[in-house]
Amino acid sequence: MEPKTILITDLRTRAARDAADDLRTAGYNVVCVPESVCLWQEASLEAFAGPLAPTLYAVLHPAPPITQCGFEEVTEEQFARARDEGPLAAWCVAKVLGGILREKGTGVMIFLGSIHAEKPVGRGFLYSAGCGAVQMLQREFNQDYGTCGVRSYYIQRGVFRGDPDAKSDVSEFYFGQDLRMPERKLPEQGSLNGLIRFLLTPEAAILSGSDLRADGGLVMYYGERGTPQNRKGRQSNEQG
Amino acid sequence: MNKDERRTALVTGGGKGVGAGIVRVLAKAGIRCCINCNANPDMAEQLLASVRASGGEAFVYRADVSDPDQVRAMVEAVIARYGRLDILVNNAALQKNKYIDEYDEPSLRMLFDVNLGGYWRCAKACVPYLRQSPAGRIINICSVHSKRPTCFDAGYSMTKGAIRQLTRELSLELYADHITVNAINLGGCAIEFKTGHPSFPGRRPNGTHNPVDVDPGRRNVPEDVGNAVLYLCSEQAQALTGDSVRLDRGLVLI
Repeated sequence: MEPKTILITDLRTRAARDAADDLRTAGYNVVCVPESVCLWQEASLEAFAGPLAPTLYAVLHPAPPITQCGFEEVTEEQFARARDEGPLAAWCVAKVLGGILREKGTGVMIFLGSIHAEKPVGRGFLYSAGCGAVQMLQREFNQDYGTCGVRSYYIQRGVFRGDPDAKSDVSEFYFGQDLRMPERKLPEQGSLNGLIRFLLTPEAAILSGSDLRADGGLVMYYGERGTPQNRKGRQSNEQG
Repeated sequence: MNKDERRTALVTGGGKGVGAGIVRVLAKAGIRCCINCNANPDMAEQLLASVRASGGEAFVYRADVSDPDQVRAMVEAVIARYGRLDILVNNAALQKNKYIDEYDEPSLRMLFDVNLGGYWRCAKACVPYLRQSPAGRIINICSVHSKRPTCFDAGYSMTKGAIRQLTRELSLELYADHITVNAINLGGCAIEFKTGHPSFPGRRPNGTHNPVDVDPGRRNVPEDVGNAVLYLCSEQAQALTGDSVRLDRGLVLI
């Protein structure tokens, strides 16, 4: 029997590369979209994915790497780039690759996103707005393509050991995270792979349409105690 | 009250529909308004006439919020006319009513440039002046579809999910400046007309309906939104930031 094909759209993040290795080990035929294919251009993606249609079973679409910039410093060029790489690419993947799965009447679409679809980064609106948009895209996809047999999920990936540091002077979310985890340590890279493999099985059908937060409990921490800048703001507010 | 002490608001997409309701309520409360419009200037002028006839103070400024130069010029016009800016109500948005496979690249790009980009550009242009206000306010008109899918417009709910996060990020960045940033998650609202083709054009499962069509009593009127905006602009709402107020007459409940 021919192995099922899993298409991974973007390998720039460690999470995507780990998932690719794990799924190969699990016996899937893993195909990665090369950088020469523009994810936010339908024609480009269609030309690449068309030949894969007969064996295509699932799509894993990872969010682009996290970026940070205060909203007043963001330029029009940065906005356009983030719009295309984030929401537009995810929509194009949903339309083109989801369309292939819909024609077949079966398949799985996994958006590997971020906790920042709901939790702000702190000077990172381009990234979290993009994640929020893709989170809603998954819900729409589930309502529309789900009735045709295609399951979908949005994974809110948290902070894992070895992730590039994000820093913020307006939020303490990225400060001392390992101490705030219920297990007192950040999740290891690769610990998400089992969840992705499970979502590919028919047993995961009951979770279709869900957001799955995979962060080891970090977001539940009551974390906005106030940075020095914010505390100063609060004091002067009280005096005022 | 000294005229110069009166607060000033910029309401984008203020010439019709929800925006017009916001302008009417703010103007009635004594807040001077810049009524931003783009596609329907005649309706904005009619609104201006009714505001003035009721004793309110306002002016109309035509600008496309997807153009940064026009946004900057609009904010400068507010300052030139009133000398201050206290409140930004981001409301101008497009709703195309298209399914995922009905969008194409240009139409989705335009939707993001207006719905998300317009909110960001206006916030960026207004914040230097909001910082000078004793109680700066940004209110982003969002939607219940920032949480619940529409089943008729994937692009619209994508932009509203993005605005939900823009609101939270701005609230963090502007907290120390005493500028609160909140969203109103609006449900169905009775307005003159929408920008896209009619919603629910046929792919929903048989027997399902838009809930506000089934129960018109669950439909807001634009002044409902104006009243919520007025509260968020008040001193009593100073502690509320990064939040969203669901205004849907109890329909969604998530």
